[in-house]
This record gives sequence, structure tokens and C-alpha cells, in this order.
Amino acid sequence: MTNTWYLYLFFAAALVFAGLLGLLGKRNLIKLFIAIGVIGKGISLLLLSTGFAKANILTAQALVITYIVIEVSLVATALALIINIYRHTRSLDIRDLAKLKG
Amino acid sequence: MILQTALLIGLVIFSVLAIALKDLLKSAISLAVSSLLLGIIFFRMNAPYAGVFEISVVAGLITVLFILTIALTKSGDEVRESKLVNWVFPLVFVAFLVIDALVMKGLLGKVPALASGPEAGTFGEVLWRGRTLDLVGQIAVILAGVFAVLALFRKRDKHD
Amino acid sequence: MIILFVVLPLIVAGILPLVGKVSRRVLPDLLANATLLFLLVYAAVAGRALIAGGAVLQQSAWLGEAVNLRLALDGFSLLMLVAIALVGFAASLFSIDYMEHYGAKANYYALYLVMIAGMNGLVLATDLFSVYIFLEVAAVASYALVAFGLGHDELEAAFKYLMLSVAASAFIVAAIAVVFGMTGSLDFAAVASALQELNAGPVLVIASAFFLLGFGLKAALVPFHAWLPDAHPSAPAPISAVLSGLLIKVSGVYAMTRIFLNVFGLTPALSTVLMWLGAVSLVVAAFLALGQKDMKRMLAYSSISQVGYVVLGIGIGTPLGIAGGLFHLFNHALAKGLLFLTSGSVQQATGTRDLDEMGGLAKRMPITAATNLIGALSIAGVPPLNGFWSKLLIIVALVQAGHPVFAVIAVLASVLTLWYYLLMQRKAFFGKLNEKWASVKEAPFWMTAATVLLALLCVGIGILFTSTITTWIQPAADVLADGVHAMTGSWGF
Repeated sequence: MTNTWYLYLFFAAALVFAGLLGLLGKRNLIKLFIAIGVIGKGISLLLLSTGFAKANILTAQALVITYIVIEVSLVATALALIINIYRHTRSLDIRDLAKLKG
Repeated sequence: MILQTALLIGLVIFSVLAIALKDLLKSAISLAVSSLLLGIIFFRMNAPYAGVFEISVVAGLITVLFILTIALTKSGDEVRESKLVNWVFPLVFVAFLVIDALVMKGLLGKVPALASGPEAGTFGEVLWRGRTLDLVGQIAVILAGVFAVLALFRKRDKHD
Repeated sequence: MIILFVVLPLIVAGILPLVGKVSRRVLPDLLANATLLFLLVYAAVAGRALIAGGAVLQQSAWLGEAVNLRLALDGFSLLMLVAIALVGFAASLFSIDYMEHYGAKANYYALYLVMIAGMNGLVLATDLFSVYIFLEVAAVASYALVAFGLGHDELEAAFKYLMLSVAASAFIVAAIAVVFGMTGSLDFAAVASALQELNAGPVLVIASAFFLLGFGLKAALVPFHAWLPDAHPSAPAPISAVLSGLLIKVSGVYAMTRIFLNVFGLTPALSTVLMWLGAVSLVVAAFLALGQKDMKRMLAYSSISQVGYVVLGIGIGTPLGIAGGLFHLFNHALAKGLLFLTSGSVQQATGTRDLDEMGGLAKRMPITAATNLIGALSIAGVPPLNGFWSKLLIIVALVQAGHPVFAVIAVLASVLTLWYYLLMQRKAFFGKLNEKWASVKEAPFWMTAATVLLALLCVGIGILFTSTITTWIQPAADVLADGVHAMTGSWGF
């Protein structure tokens, strides 16, 4: 793999890790969703840079576009959930969502 | 390459800002800016289609959805984030960056890869003929999202 | 026309909202159930003929041009298709009555069919990224279905399920990207042969670890199981049945098995990891199930435990172990689907899921009690029901492969399983009739019909287990075992 791939991999990993940290630590439901968006960016960067490194940029674009479409559906569903949760609890705090024990 | 690296650093900075900022609206805008930067990065990697998609869909559509949600959930009391988290996580993140850099340096050239041949066809052909099943999947996931939103926003008269 | 398995449910789902405007109940019920019945018949009857001559690869032509709609039907995929169609059909029948008071039936069926289409697409795909797409299709539909009742608990469960799932997806795609980087392709066969050329050892370990993380979360293996005990009980009963009976197996176990056995190759190290993961899930979840008061929560923990059993069986890597694991996957899908459906009947009749509040329901709901008993005994592994044979196969395989300790653990866990299921039976159905339930009636027609169907299958497969194994399980196991033989030792470590 070309050396530039590792550069992109570094940033992609940083993004995914930042997103995971956000998922672990943040309490605001919408913030949690922003963290998920950041993870998505990291993954699409990883996908595209892998394709770029292998001179397979067209396939990589197809993958990234599909991934983005999936992300849109996911975000729409999640935000619908958040709005419904807000209607129930009047709060965006994940600690108010602790009824179930897991 | 330098410009690309600068863009990548900007991408990470704005993404971290999006997670860390207190004000939700500023968070959403920061996320949009990072999407914009990612789109430009894609352009510079000879991936114009991905770049356009990233900018119009993620920076555009998803940001609009976020702002819509923020507007619909404006409450009187803000959610207070944990103070401990605000201190510890940046440190953990920086530590990770160091580990990340070391790991990447160590991995340089160690990931074996088959040499791949040149790609055949145009982007249209690759997408429509080469990855047709993905398109069926895209339609399916869009249907799933649409029905999900319809189900979650339906008028509730009585339920279990 | 294998593509029908994916496209037919999608098309019907697409027209359901329009149909729903015309007829709120009858037509959606009819359409959805007819679709699933068709899929079931097609898979069960035509499927075997299709694969009689080896795996079928369908490459479609669209409007005269060759497009890459590659779907492959082999023994393993067919087994999953039949399981999906069976449990999917039964839960859908059940929904005719059960979902009445949720409203928006057309919308429900539309989501349901999209989820089925996603699962079918996953088992038929031949390409790593396609597996991911259909996994997400089924997942997005399932988030909405879990939250369908729009109550507080359901929304909370759905949200947490979503968050964990997204993390899982990130790991899965990361692994796919790494594999793509190494081999330059995403197709199963191409990747498999490319990996054999490369000496990819350590990086493949990282990719395997990511896949294990991602799919393990989807399959709810311990320690990635935390989302399941909240999500499955909160969902409407037929959805719980499909989630526990099918989705965790299709998105988790099937994907993991297909990739590890047919693409990466099952090395001794990977085999050990899988067996340990399976055994830990089996035991820990069984203990956690013991203390549950909520009927559906107990069933949820039981699902985690039994999926552990399946992974343990497949992880052995020997043909007998794989066959046992697959047979148990199939049996558990039927039995757990059945149990969640009967729990739905009980919940609808009594309004509660709390086992301590129930009692003596067998007197008022005899059919439900009987079918529930069959399901429970099947999972607990009581002869001559189907679960007994699959568990026996796994235990024998463990002994044969030289893992006596695991075999003992498996047997002990089965005893635990029997214990908590008998507890559930006693508390809910037998014993004195709690006066609160004196006027409770048996479940409505379609609900009982669905449970009776699954119960009969459990009994039938238990009695006819040899022919079931030779006809359905063996072809599936052969596909995987061939993969194991072809791969093992190719990148020795």
C-alpha cells in the first residue's frame, strides 16, 4: 500500500475514535448523533482513500455514495426517534433514558 | 499533498469541535463545515462524484435534518455534560493521536496488498453495471428510512 | 429467479402504503402474508431443486445489458432463506391479530417486508459490501419496528439499540475496507483466493477482530449483548420473535460464519476464539436468565445463551460441529420465534409480562400453554423435540474434536436452561389460577394458528430429525466445511 494511504488511515482512525469517544461520553442525544456522523466521515474517508491507493477510485466512489445513502436513512430514523423521545420526556439527556436496565 | 494534509487536519478539528461545542447549532454548523472539507478532500483525490455527494447530501441534507431536530427540541433546560468528561476526553484523544501516529509509522509498508489492475469503464458503468446489487440495496434502505419516519411520526390515537 | 427473494418483498412494501389508504386492515394483511407464504413455498419447494446440482449463481441481465446482480444460492443460504420465510410467515400471521391495537398496519407490514428483504439479500449476497448494505437495510427497518409502539420504553430501547448498532457497523465497514485494500476486490471468491496468495497474517487478524466485534455485537454475544435484553422485550411480540429468531442470526451468526469459514478460513486460533465466545455467552446469559421476572426478558437472555451455543458449535470447525451449530440455529429460530409469539399472546391477554403476576394460565389459555411448553422444552433440549438433537450433535462434536471441558459446560448449561424454562412454565401457566385472570380468553385465531404452526414444526422436526438433517442441514454444512478445508493452513498461524 502506498504511503499516502497510511496518512489517510491516520486521519480516518482519528475521526472514528473521536466519534466513539463522543458516543461514550456525551449526554445530549443530538450530540450523540453528531458523534455518529463523525464516525461516518471517518469510515467514508477510509473507504475512499483505500480505493484511491489501489487506483480503484471509481469502485470506491460507488461504495462511498452507497454508504452516504445508508447514513441518510439512518440519521432520518434516529432523529425521528430523538424527536419522539423528546415529546415523551421533554429532555434530551440520555440519563433520563435509564429506565431499562440492559 | 501539503494542502491535502491541511484539509485533513481541518476536517478533524471541525469534527472534534462539532462534538465538543456546547451550543447545538454551532455543533451542527461545525459538522457541516467538516463535511465541506471532506468533500474537497474527495475532489482532490479525483473522486468528484463522492465529493459532490458528500457536500450536497451530508453537508446539506443531513445538516438540515439536524437543524430541524434542534429546532423541534428546544427545551428550557440545557443538558449539562459531565465535567469529568470534558477534561479527560481531550487528553485521551491526544494520547490516541500519538498512538495512532506511531502505529501508522510502524505499519508503513507492512500491509500486504495485491497490485490491482486499472479500472475498466466510466463511473456510470462501474456503479450501474458493476455494483447493481448495491443500487437495489440503496432503494431498500431508502424505503426503510421513509417507512421508519412515517411510522415514527404517525398520529397516535391509541397504542399498547 | 432468486432475485425474487429480495425484490418481491420490496415491491409489495412499496405498494403497501397505497393499499393501506384503500383498505386499512384486510388488504395489507392479505398482501403481506401472501408474499411471505409465497417466499416460504418457493424456498422450501423450489429451493432444493435449484441447488440440486451445486450452488446457483444468478447473474441477471437488465433490459438486455449484463448487470452485476450476483446472487448465490447454496445450501447455507437456502437453509437461512427457509428459516427466514418460516419464522417470518408465522410472525406475520400472528401480527394479523396482534398489531390491531397498534394501528398503521400497512406501515408496519411495509417495514416488516423491508426487513425480510434485507435479511434475504444478506444471505444471498456474494460480495462483502452487499452483505453490509442489506445488513443495514434490515437494521434500519428493525429500529423503527422496535419503536413501533411509540411508548417510552420502546423508544429508549430502540435508541440504545441504534447507537450500539452504528458502532458495530463502523467496525464492519472498517474491516471491509482493509480487506479491499489488501485484495483489491470485494467478491467472496475473489477475496478468498487473493488472501491465499498474500501472506496477510497480522493484518488479517486485525480485520478478523473488527469483524468479530461488529458481527458479535449484531449477534449479541457476550460481552456485546447489552442492547438485546432491552430491545427484544420492548418490541411488539411478532417483532421480538423475528429479532431473536432471525435478525441476530442473519446479521450476526450468518455473516460471521460466511466470512470466517468461506472467505477468511477458520484457523485454529479463530476457532478457539469463537468457541470461547460461544461458551461464555452460553453460560453467562443462562445465569442472567435465571433471575428475570419479565417473561420476555428471560427469553431475551435465553436467546443470547442459545446463540452462544450455535457459535460454539460452528466454532469447532468439524463437519459435525458445523452441522450441529446450523441445526441449532434453525431450531432456535423456530422455537424462540414460537416462544416470543406465545409471550405476546400472554401479554395481550393479561396486560403484563411479569411472571410473578401470572399463574395457572393453562386453564384459560390451553393452546398457548401447550405451544409455549413445546417451545420451551425444545430450547431446553428435551427429546424428542428438535432442540434435543441439535444440542446433542454439538455436544458429540465437542467430544469428538477433543474438547471434553466444553462438552461438560454445554451439558451443564443445558440443565440450567431447562431449569429456568420450567420455572417460567410453572410461574406463568401451571399452578393455581390467579383470580385476576379468571376471565381471560384464549388468544385470537391467527395468533394461535401461528404458534401452533411453529410448535408442530418443532415436534415434526424432532421426530423426523434424520431426514431434516440430510435434506437441509447437510448441504449447508457441506458448503461451510468445504470452505474450512480449503482455507485451513493457508496462512498458518
